[in-house]
Amino acid sequence: MPKVVGIDLGTTLSEIAVMEGGQPKIIENREGSRTTPSTVAFAKNGEILVGVQAKRQQITNPKNTVSQVKRLMGRRFSDASVQKDKQLLPYEMQESSDGGVEVKMGEKWYKPPEISAMILRKLKQDAEEKLGEKITEAIITVPAYFDDSQRKATKVAGEIAGLDVKRVLNEPTAAALAYGLNKKNNERIVVYDFGGGTFDISILEISQDTIEVKATGGDTHLGGEDFDQKVMDWLIDQFKKDQGIDLSKDPLALQRLKEAGEKTKMELSTSMESEVNLPFITSDAAGPKHLYYKLSRTLLEGLVREYIDRSVELVKQTLQDAKFSVKDIDEIVLVGGQTRMPAMQEAVKELFGKEPNRSINPDEVVALGAAVQAGILQGDVKDVLLLDVTPLSLGIETLGGVNTVLIAKNITIPTSKSQVFSTAADSQTSVEVHVVQGERQMAQDNKSLGRFILDGIAPAPRGMPQVEVSFDIDVNGILNVTAKDKATQKTQSIRIEGSTGISKEEVERMRKEAQAHEEEDKKKRELIETKNTADTLVYTAEKTLKDFADKITEDVKKDVQEKLDALKSVKESDMVDEIRSKSSELSAALQKIGETLYKQNPGQ
Amino acid sequence: MEEIAKEKSIEDLEGHKKLEDEYLAGWQRERADFLNYKREEMERLKLFVGYATEDILVKLLPVVDNFELADKELTEDQKKNGFVKGVLQIAGQLREFLKTQGVEEMDSQGKKFNPEFHEAVGEMEGKETGLVGEVVAKGYTLRGKVLRPAKVKVTK
Repeated sequence: MPKVVGIDLGTTLSEIAVMEGGQPKIIENREGSRTTPSTVAFAKNGEILVGVQAKRQQITNPKNTVSQVKRLMGRRFSDASVQKDKQLLPYEMQESSDGGVEVKMGEKWYKPPEISAMILRKLKQDAEEKLGEKITEAIITVPAYFDDSQRKATKVAGEIAGLDVKRVLNEPTAAALAYGLNKKNNERIVVYDFGGGTFDISILEISQDTIEVKATGGDTHLGGEDFDQKVMDWLIDQFKKDQGIDLSKDPLALQRLKEAGEKTKMELSTSMESEVNLPFITSDAAGPKHLYYKLSRTLLEGLVREYIDRSVELVKQTLQDAKFSVKDIDEIVLVGGQTRMPAMQEAVKELFGKEPNRSINPDEVVALGAAVQAGILQGDVKDVLLLDVTPLSLGIETLGGVNTVLIAKNITIPTSKSQVFSTAADSQTSVEVHVVQGERQMAQDNKSLGRFILDGIAPAPRGMPQVEVSFDIDVNGILNVTAKDKATQKTQSIRIEGSTGISKEEVERMRKEAQAHEEEDKKKRELIETKNTADTLVYTAEKTLKDFADKITEDVKKDVQEKLDALKSVKESDMVDEIRSKSSELSAALQKIGETLYKQNPGQ
Repeated sequence: MEEIAKEKSIEDLEGHKKLEDEYLAGWQRERADFLNYKREEMERLKLFVGYATEDILVKLLPVVDNFELADKELTEDQKKNGFVKGVLQIAGQLREFLKTQGVEEMDSQGKKFNPEFHEAVGEMEGKETGLVGEVVAKGYTLRGKVLRPAKVKVTK
C-alpha cells in the first residue's frame, strides 16, 4: 500500500513526514535538510527554483522570487490583509478575473495554489527519492482560522502537485495528535504556535475521538524574525555608541549581523551567555574595526519582553472571546521554533499554572502530527502496545547515605537490572537494602519506597561478601527488589507497588528539586565518596602494616604510619581536597611496600 | 451435562491456544522489530557521526572567513611583519586541517551564478550579467557535497 504523507505547508518553511514502524518521521529533502523554505523563484535563466536555492538568489531577483504565498491562499484581492501584504512583499500582485489574487513571476501570472503546488511538488519528489517509492496521497495542514476558500485553495495546490489530498488538517490539531492528546476525553487544549513570522493561538476541545476548534486568535505579523531584528538593532546601536559607525548602511555588515543575531538568539535558549564575534566588520581611516559583544539571556529577554507580553495578552483575549478561563484548560502545546526560548515557556507556564507539552521538536510537531493522522487513516496506528517509562530513578542507599541508582528515569518498562554490592565492615553478617526513588544524590533526600534486611551473611573481611541486588519492574510498574548473598545463596526481597504511578506534578516537583540542589548534592556526594575511598585506604594500610610487619624496613613502616596518621586526622573533616591529597600520599607510600615485597620475592 | 462441560473446556482450550499463538506471534514480532531497530540504529549512528562532523566543520568556517577578511585588510608592509606572518601561518594551519578532513574550497570567482553553490548577498556592476563578481565568503564542499554555499555578489 502506498504511503500517505503528512505535510506542514508553512508560511516560511515546510516539512514532510511519514509513518515508519509506527512512529512519525520527518523526511529530509535533496539538500539533506529537514525543512524546506516555502520560497519559489523564476530564475534569470528561466528555470523554476524551489526551496533553499530560490532563497539563495532572492537578493538578485526579488521581483521574481515569491515567498510567504500562504498569506495569499484563497484570499480575495480586496481583502484588507492582502492589501497590507502587498505593501510588505517585494513581488508584484494583481486581481485575477475571479476577484482572487495573482502573483507575477517571470512574464507569467500565477495563482497562489500554483505557487504552493511547486513547493508541494518539490517536497513530494524529494521524499519519493528518499523513500524509494511513489507518493500519491497526502494530508496537508492549514491554520485553524483558514476559511473554506483558503482550505479549498490548499487542496487545489495539492492536486496540482499530483497529490490526492486525503484531508486538510488543522495545524493545532496535528500538534495535539503528535502528542497523542486525541486519546484524552473531554479536555481543552491551547496550542501556542509562535512561528518565524506568524503567531497563532487555538483552543481545542477533545471529546470521543473528535477534536473541535473552539476559538482561534493571534497575530499574523508577529514571529521569531521580530526577535532577530531586535537583537540586530541592539548590536547596531551599541556599535554606533562605541565606535560612532552606523552599520545599518552597510549591506555586507548587515548580512553578517543578521546571521550572528539569529545564532546568538538560538544559543541563549540553552546558555546564559553568548558572544557575537565579528572581526573586520568595517573600517575607517584609522583602520579595521571589530565587533565583539557578550549578550546575556537577561538582556535578550529585556529586548523582546514586549513581544512575549503581547503574546500572553493575545492568549488571554482568545480565552476571553471563547468564554473560557485559564482554569478550563487541561493541556498546553508549544509549536514553532521560537517557543524554545525559556522566557516564553515560563510566560505560558505562569499564565496557565501548568507545564506545557514541549518534548517534540516544535519546528516539526505539526508535520509529525499530520503523519500520525495519515497513519490513522491507513490503519497503521492501531492501539499499539503502549509501554510506560519510569518517571524517576530507582536506587538503593549505599555507604555514607549515597543514592546508587540501578534503574534510571525514562527507561521503558518492563525491565530489570542488577549490581553486586559488598559489606562495609569486617565480619558484617547483615546488610540493609533501602530502596529510594528520585534524582537527588543523597538517599535521604529521595522518596523512600521500602527497606529490608538480608542477614545470615558468612562473617568475612569487609568488601569480601558479594551481595547481588536486583531490581525488576514488570509491565504494571510493580517493582521487585531482591538481595542475594552469592556465598550462601540466601535471598530476601520486597515487592513495591505503584513505583510508576506518580502524578505529573509530583514528578515535576522532584525533578525540579534535584535540579535546584544539583551543585550541593554533587559536592556532598563527592565528599562522601572521597571519605569512603579514604576509609578503604586506611583499612588496607593498617592491614598491610600488620600482615607484613616483619618484611618491611623500619623507615618504610614509619613513612606509611606517618601518612596513615595524617589521613586519619583529616578523614572525618569536610575538606575534600585535603582528604584527597593525603589519600594519594598514603597510596604512594603503600606502593613502596608492594615494591619492597616484590623485590624480596622476585620469582613469585 | 458432562458432554456440555467437556465441550466447554475444549472451547476454552481452543481459546487459550489461539491466545497463545497470538502472544507468541506478538513476542516474535517484537523481538524481530527490536533486532531490526538495533541494526537500523547502527546505520543511523554512522550517518549521525557523519552529520556531527559536518556540523562542527560548518561551525569552523566562520573562523576561516575571519582569517580571510584579516588577510584582505592587511597592507603589503604589514604582511612583512614577522608577527603577522606567524598569525597568517596559523590561518594556514586551520585551512590545512579542513583539507585533511575532506573540505575543499569552491572556485567561484567569475563563474556563472548558480544557487546550488552560491548564495547571493548583493549585486555589483560587471561586463556580463549573472556572474560571480566578488566572493564575500568562500564556499566549501565536503566529499563532493556542498558544505556551505559561497556568499557572492552577482554582476548585473
